[in-house]
Amino acid sequence: MTAIDPITFAVIKSGLDTIVDDMAYAVMRTARSPIVRDVLDYSVTLCDAKGRILSQAKTVALHLGAVPDAIDVIVERFRDDMFRGDVIVLNDPYDGGMHLPDIFMFKPIFSSKRLLGFSVVIAHHCDVGGRVPGSNASDSTEIFQEGLRIAPMKLYERGLPNRTLFKIIEKNVRLPAMVLGDLDAQYATCNIGEREMLRLFERYGEELEAYFDRLIDYGEELTRKAIAGWPDGEYAFTDYIDGDGFSPAPIPIVCRITVKGDHLWVDFAGSSPQVKGAINATLSFVKSSTYLTIRCALDHDVPNNAGVYRCITVTAPEGSILNPNMPAPVAARALTGYRVVDTVMGALAQIAPKRLMAAGEGGNTVVAIGGYHGPECKPFILVDMINGAWGGRSDKDGIEGITNPSQNMSNLPIETIEARYPVMMEEYALREDSGGAGQFRGGLGLVRQYRLQADTAVLQLRADRHEHSPYGLFGGQAAASSRNLLKQDGEWRVLPAKVTLEIGKDTVIRHEQAGGGGWGDPASRGRDSIATDLANGKISPARAMADYGFEAEPKADGDDTST
Amino acid sequence: MIGRWAASSRPTNSVPMMQSARLSVDIGGTFTDLVLLRNDGLTFSAKVSSTPAAPEDAVISGMAEVLAAADIPAAALTEILHGTTVGSNTLLQKLGARTGLITTKGFRDVLEIGRLRTPGMFDLTWDKPEPLVARRYRLEVAERTLADGTIQTPVVAEDVLRAGAFFRDEGIQSVAICFLNSYKNPENERSAAQIFSQAFAEIAVTASVDVLPEAGEYERTSTVAVNAYVLPPLKGYLERLEHKLRSAGVTAPLLIGNSNGGLSASTTAQSKPVFFISSGRSSGAVGAARLGAALGEPNLVAFDMGGTTASAALIHRGVLSRTHEYEFRAGMSVPSRFIKAGGYMMRVPTVDVAEVGNGAGSIAAIDAAGLLTVGPISAGADPGPVCYGLGGARPTVTDANVVLGYLPPRLAGGTLRLDVEAARMAIDKTLGSPLGLSAAAAACGIREIANANMVRAIRAVTVERGLDPRDLTLLAFGGSGPVHACDLARTLGITRVVFPPSPGVFTAMGMLAGSIEHHELRSAQARLDLLGFEVVERLRREMRAAATMALTRQGYAAETVGFSEAIDLRLEGQDASLSIPFSGAFDAASLRPAFIAAYRDTYGYTPNDAVEAVALRLHAHARISEPLDFTALKAAPNDVGAREERRMVHFTRAAAIETTIVPRASVVSALSGPVIIEGADTTIVIPPGMRVEPNATGSLIATLEAA
Repeated sequence: MTAIDPITFAVIKSGLDTIVDDMAYAVMRTARSPIVRDVLDYSVTLCDAKGRILSQAKTVALHLGAVPDAIDVIVERFRDDMFRGDVIVLNDPYDGGMHLPDIFMFKPIFSSKRLLGFSVVIAHHCDVGGRVPGSNASDSTEIFQEGLRIAPMKLYERGLPNRTLFKIIEKNVRLPAMVLGDLDAQYATCNIGEREMLRLFERYGEELEAYFDRLIDYGEELTRKAIAGWPDGEYAFTDYIDGDGFSPAPIPIVCRITVKGDHLWVDFAGSSPQVKGAINATLSFVKSSTYLTIRCALDHDVPNNAGVYRCITVTAPEGSILNPNMPAPVAARALTGYRVVDTVMGALAQIAPKRLMAAGEGGNTVVAIGGYHGPECKPFILVDMINGAWGGRSDKDGIEGITNPSQNMSNLPIETIEARYPVMMEEYALREDSGGAGQFRGGLGLVRQYRLQADTAVLQLRADRHEHSPYGLFGGQAAASSRNLLKQDGEWRVLPAKVTLEIGKDTVIRHEQAGGGGWGDPASRGRDSIATDLANGKISPARAMADYGFEAEPKADGDDTST
Repeated sequence: MIGRWAASSRPTNSVPMMQSARLSVDIGGTFTDLVLLRNDGLTFSAKVSSTPAAPEDAVISGMAEVLAAADIPAAALTEILHGTTVGSNTLLQKLGARTGLITTKGFRDVLEIGRLRTPGMFDLTWDKPEPLVARRYRLEVAERTLADGTIQTPVVAEDVLRAGAFFRDEGIQSVAICFLNSYKNPENERSAAQIFSQAFAEIAVTASVDVLPEAGEYERTSTVAVNAYVLPPLKGYLERLEHKLRSAGVTAPLLIGNSNGGLSASTTAQSKPVFFISSGRSSGAVGAARLGAALGEPNLVAFDMGGTTASAALIHRGVLSRTHEYEFRAGMSVPSRFIKAGGYMMRVPTVDVAEVGNGAGSIAAIDAAGLLTVGPISAGADPGPVCYGLGGARPTVTDANVVLGYLPPRLAGGTLRLDVEAARMAIDKTLGSPLGLSAAAAACGIREIANANMVRAIRAVTVERGLDPRDLTLLAFGGSGPVHACDLARTLGITRVVFPPSPGVFTAMGMLAGSIEHHELRSAQARLDLLGFEVVERLRREMRAAATMALTRQGYAAETVGFSEAIDLRLEGQDASLSIPFSGAFDAASLRPAFIAAYRDTYGYTPNDAVEAVALRLHAHARISEPLDFTALKAAPNDVGAREERRMVHFTRAAAIETTIVPRASVVSALSGPVIIEGADTTIVIPPGMRVEPNATGSLIATLEAA
């Protein structure tokens, strides 16, 4: 056993962080699809030879908790059949993946014949075939409608591309140039991770692995220390998904956290059985959602690595929405992940309130508009994701215009949408009065409004929080619920939360997102904060009165001067 | 303190009849540095205390000092070159103007929504910075330009006037205008700006296309908002400075160092201050590139370490690395460039400087899990390091360096003794005992961790560009850069380290090596092979004419104006582009391989995809007199009270070794490490296994000795 030098340890730790930063940056610079290069729906990480996460970039956290399960599959399948230059991909939710658009790419890193670890890049591809453009529909009923399934297999073998697999992918997706371009970006990034990991090995030699062990132990120690400081006991919380797109029946997500000593058990017994619509989530994804929420309750300096996961046991009943059986559809499972985050957050807030918040917007709303456009009938697929608001916190308001904490995603610029798709944007704004009232109010949700310029298109909407709006905590109120609206021939009508339909030219689609829940009794809210919100149009005079008993001063003349 | 360097073999006491000189001034947090270059080639420098409340005062007093030393009148100055932190301080301390924003109907919240990301993860206690313009001061007007540049709705004048009346009544001093798709057609934005300024002449107005004619509504809105916010304070400062300079008899033009490291007319800084936020810091990097050229070192990392931060910039194949985008945030620690949040976004050309909150004054501590950490909290000048004896109790990097024997037991100039024992006790008590290490071992630890932090800044500008630091030379400057440079070099596998003639005033000196410049940019979006020759040539002529006019208006002769050009290219479907330089008649066919080669260098694979053009860039420059020539600099003796001595120095945790200490002026031939070289403004540490020798430019060059 190598003696651990505290200085070398710190240097290796920041060295790994630098490598994953480099990798994340490379994806952004080289990717083709707006969903990857603008919205940043991807994640990168480095694992050791046992497949344990060493360090992860500041990208989509929801992906990464699923990496250990995926690597287990790979190591089992390719144990004696991995060589330098191999690259393995997978996307099948029933064979290591999460949902089909997320293609995992792993590059084993070898120094001569010794396996040192893996470069891992997961990217959300803009299309993987199936019945709906974007491959993200919530109203599929079996996995076979959702697109191309890739079992773990080699995309490159000893540095040479597997042309058969490339051809199969090319022929089964709607936008092959974009999908292959993004696979290139993943590949370039895996190579950067490999190159840099080899440099570390060159510098530190075989000692490096002892430091990897220590790094993971260090994550575990800090986590155990935090958990041990929490009072033993059981903490339960229930939240709901509005429906699966077929049935309006509420779908309960039930979580029970047991704190005992320095270990956590998170059990989801009592949650809904698996559902007909495509919002079932694999257990790996549920673990991922749970880990990241618990990680939020820990101190900032805890490294996000496999050591953290050792302190947490996650279970969900087989055949439930959180651990479904083949061939349940899963394409829109991100929604269920968000609700797992909200549910675990509600339970954890009873334990570590200072680090958590009331419910945020409930996860992004996906607006996919796809079809064929122009004289050449060129295919287009706009996949837009609307984020977001945070709930109120123990000492301050929730943030508006912010990623869901499970993702760290960005948004698609309006000017990119208008330049690349036959869609015109009519509004992108904060939604007045949408934050839940409280001593610290929830952040405002967003409004996004689109007008179709193509003759026809398929619109696919995945929203939630129509019926069960984001909860408040400790006396804070729930936020405004979300709405989908559609305008045709001058008439507005309300759409269901989850819907797929054909639309024609000049149809206007509007999403009004839920805000974040409030924290604490609204009666305790500072008068200055209410006045500032009024001045900035973040709450209306009517709501200031209703929620806070605050009488707004009449508007200054300057505001209404008409010329 | 005054230093002088003779640049020629002419006798230094023979003063020619017609004296003239260029003066450069770099204002830092603690000191204002001035360097004067007389037309006979002599340089004179001065360091005076900064006067943050009225920064121009230190400029005027320092100028008097340096003019007296050079024995020339203020009227004989031909150019004043200036690096200022007024822009960054205005943002950092939120001292900008009361600012309003006018946008397209439906989009006033683009500025506040931003790009949604958070700089860290799993931190729900994070605070998103307040937008520079509050929501109530963001007003919408009816107008619409489509993505192809078609005006769907002309701007409605009544809306603009109504907004102006509201702003006037609310005491708004500066207004930004940003309309959707204005980068494709600026007509609506320009006419709104015109309507506004005709009716409300007392309020400053900036149209987004005048600072950033590029796609990306958030980046453009944020950039123009920063411009509007910083404009009144920076303009006011420059007007006061110019007024005081004129009163002091200066007639020369005032040029300001921009974020890109170039020098621009003061009038440009007054109308487009967003281009001047990193003034000064960027000039240091540009000076490094020029010194590199003089030394024949095309591949350099410029490393600058001061009291609270350290920064790194890259010069590769003779070209200084620049970026088109920059986020300004409170707290200097930037552990990752991969962030799109948490700061005030400016998409302006900026020297790609990575900065970490780790300087000589950074405090060392132990975190909850027993890990030794250094920075970003700094002891600053008050209370300062423990060894200064001014009340500081928490050990800093400087304390570690004193305990280890790297720094002399007295401050520069030799007047104030440093309390080595107090530093040792502080390190032992707060770090050594809890970690079970000796004070010396703990001090070594502080130094190693500080070095690891600073290595991250260097890696950010090298590895992230796909460059191996081992192929580069390190150039060390700033008060503390030369104390750490050799260790950083060894960690990164760098085998050559350069120490310039006077590291302490290197940034001001670097500006003297520059000349005024002017930039133009034109959008040119099309597939590269379909981009019309005539279109490109017309845009190039247009840019040249605009640049020449701007420079001649400043008094520079048209025949001294020179140009360099580049085209931004990317693979079809990508967002990020690479700038590829070109000259002569536009030839798309030869640009493709140049781009593919640059792409392969950066990302490690060769793409076969179609290449698309994004924009054309033009860089114009002109000169009034000969800039400082680093190849002709020669160091003259100026080491205050230094003499050769020996002291024990801990180069490793194992044991201290006896080390020779020599004054810089006495280094006339190669020396083998360990050796410590003391100069007037910094200490150079050469560890065992390295060798140092002087160079004709007055620099010292350290190399790793063959094992």
